[in-house]
Amino acid sequence: MDALLQPTQEAFHLLLTGDTDLWTIIGISFRVSLKAILFATPFALLLAFLLAYVSFPGRRLLLSVFETLMALPAVVVGLLIYLLLSRNGPLGDLRLLFTQTAMVIGQIVLCFPLLVAMGYAAIRSADRRAWETALTLGAGRPRAMLTLIHEVRLGLLVAVIAGFGRIISEIGTSMMVGGNIAGHTRNIPTAIALETSKGHFAEGIALGIVLVTLAFGLNLILNLLQHREAQAA
Amino acid sequence: MNNDARLCISRLEKYYNERHVLSIGRLALVPGRIVHLTGRNGAGKTTLLKILAGLESPDHCDVLLDRCSRPWRAVRQQLRRNVVYLHQHPYMFDNTVADNLGYGLRVTGVPRARRRQAVAMMLERMELEHAAQRNARTLSGGEQQRLALGRAWLLQPRVLLLDEPTANMDTGFRQQTWTLLQEMLSDALAIMVSSHELSESECPDCLNLHLQDGRLNAAPPSLHLVGQERSRPQEVLGVKP
Amino acid sequence: MPKPSLHQPLHTRETAVKRTLQTLLFAWLCVCSLNVPADPVVLRMATTTSTENSGLLKVILPEFEARSGLEVQVLAVGTGQALRLGCNGDVDVVLVHAPAAEQKFVADGCGVNRRPVMYNDFVIIGPPADPAGVAQRGNAADALARIETSRSIFVSRGDDSGTNKKELALWRKAGITPSGSWYREAGQGMGKVLQITGELDGYTLTDRGTWLAYHAKSPLKILFEKDPALYNPYAVIAVNPERYPDANYTGAMAFSDWITSREGQRMIADYRIDGEVLFTPLAIPNPGAP
Repeated sequence: MDALLQPTQEAFHLLLTGDTDLWTIIGISFRVSLKAILFATPFALLLAFLLAYVSFPGRRLLLSVFETLMALPAVVVGLLIYLLLSRNGPLGDLRLLFTQTAMVIGQIVLCFPLLVAMGYAAIRSADRRAWETALTLGAGRPRAMLTLIHEVRLGLLVAVIAGFGRIISEIGTSMMVGGNIAGHTRNIPTAIALETSKGHFAEGIALGIVLVTLAFGLNLILNLLQHREAQAA
Repeated sequence: MNNDARLCISRLEKYYNERHVLSIGRLALVPGRIVHLTGRNGAGKTTLLKILAGLESPDHCDVLLDRCSRPWRAVRQQLRRNVVYLHQHPYMFDNTVADNLGYGLRVTGVPRARRRQAVAMMLERMELEHAAQRNARTLSGGEQQRLALGRAWLLQPRVLLLDEPTANMDTGFRQQTWTLLQEMLSDALAIMVSSHELSESECPDCLNLHLQDGRLNAAPPSLHLVGQERSRPQEVLGVKP
Repeated sequence: MPKPSLHQPLHTRETAVKRTLQTLLFAWLCVCSLNVPADPVVLRMATTTSTENSGLLKVILPEFEARSGLEVQVLAVGTGQALRLGCNGDVDVVLVHAPAAEQKFVADGCGVNRRPVMYNDFVIIGPPADPAGVAQRGNAADALARIETSRSIFVSRGDDSGTNKKELALWRKAGITPSGSWYREAGQGMGKVLQITGELDGYTLTDRGTWLAYHAKSPLKILFEKDPALYNPYAVIAVNPERYPDANYTGAMAFSDWITSREGQRMIADYRIDGEVLFTPLAIPNPGAP
């Protein structure tokens, strides 16, 4: 029991005394993942909408592709992007490897299929009458799309939160394309891996606490929103 | 009656999986008249209404709007702007009653001040003031219909299409519907209402059309009198026609 | 009845929409833009996890950074991956300890100016009771042979690292191809492997540096050491500028010069963990006092 208690106590101490290394790592994690999700979401939602409402050849195939990509392990995505961004690779001249930008790109690739697949499900669950009502009341198609998105906003928020959850705790991609460089590309999951491999369990637990708190917070928000929706209905 | 404001379609053909659903030579919707469209379930009433509203595309159709006869595809946008279609159970946006009422005005770019005024007036007219800030989905069926009609009315459409608005509804609801429709009717608005039971006709002045095997026929006048003689709803409610 | 004047002309509506879209796009771009301040010149170095875990770099790199004005970014990965990164031009300089692989690295044209820097040694650690009787053996290969005969658990790095290559070379020397349930390939860094070996009460080969950083937390002990075959030399190699002209070759050579200079070598010799010397300088064997 002591083996668990002692590092945990140290962990809280590290967090509360504002250990700079620790908070730098936390900052990098949030900066990278927030950028990735903010960039990916509009495009993913647009694509999800097109898949749900426009019939074009290959639509079903494309949907299956995204649903399959959801299961891709983070380390495989990391490897692929490393090969693309390496000096030796096709996009090597961009000099993006081992930067936060590379991590953002990697995380965009990771969360995009999930956002599309879950967004698609949410939009499909919308009442068909919503779209027709918007159109008949004078909305152009882009405006009707925004209205529809508003109607299913809860389902879409669930998708975004799921996507964010996936990327803030992933290690495979961050490690491969970020390189776990201290102060630059070391984020929470890669730091946890490093610290625990060195036997520094207190740091590992401290960072783990941050992730768990975040997950708890997001779930709480989601539950509150769902409760409020249920009350209004 | 403003002849220029009528909506005419001609040579409407619609196939659905090789089934010839609609084949209509000519249909005119004239402002100031209510057209009562009947037909059994699955006859294609909804399809026809949605085509008129620009929501569903026909295989062939010519539309006469503003004296110009053009193919349906070319005037689809105009149809959407000038024709409002109401579902049997109109859809309420997940928003307040006031926001629902103002939706059409908002998306067509009406400035906020005027929009608020118009919505306030319609809330009063439709007796929905007490629920203005409530979520529209909490309204009763009758209130939702008033909201849907008010929402459409604010847009000043040329044509209003109601898809089986009174099916399986009680007398009070039906009376409300027809009263409101009579109020809304003007020399700038044509209305078409569909139902599958002619006996529910509360509108002796209506033009009755029957959709069968994809074709439109004038409904035989004798069918009007199925059911008891009813006094005009306007007289019952004491409202002037 | 609502007045007809409610409807606005079409073009006003469209400009309003356009303006809103432009504002949104601008705001979104602001959020997404990376506010990268001007960076100092960066030197990217790939090294091994054991070098990183020894803590040496944390001590000597700040000194080098202060002198050279460079910012050193360290990627600590397995030896194989470090050399791969060098060959791909993703780093500017490598610091590894795998002589055979290093020769190939230079022969393949991936690196230039290979210079020996320092050495430490490997040790064989295991359970204090030493069921395989490793401690009495005369040389490292024999020690490993005893482990195989006694079928004691041996945990291997299994990741093509310098340590791994040394271990496999010793097995080859003993004429053994290790396999069976007693031989566990972890595929992880040295720290992890030490933890695993501790849990399994087994044997493993480790570099002294990582061991010194770990031994307080481990139930195991050093059972065999000081065989010249366990010699673990480190070298620094710059990535070939002819292959990757925009690699930071000047920075790489600056680091290479510094770490083999009297000052760098002295810092290496002075580095201690718990009072124990870890690395022995190779470029200048007795750097002595400044």
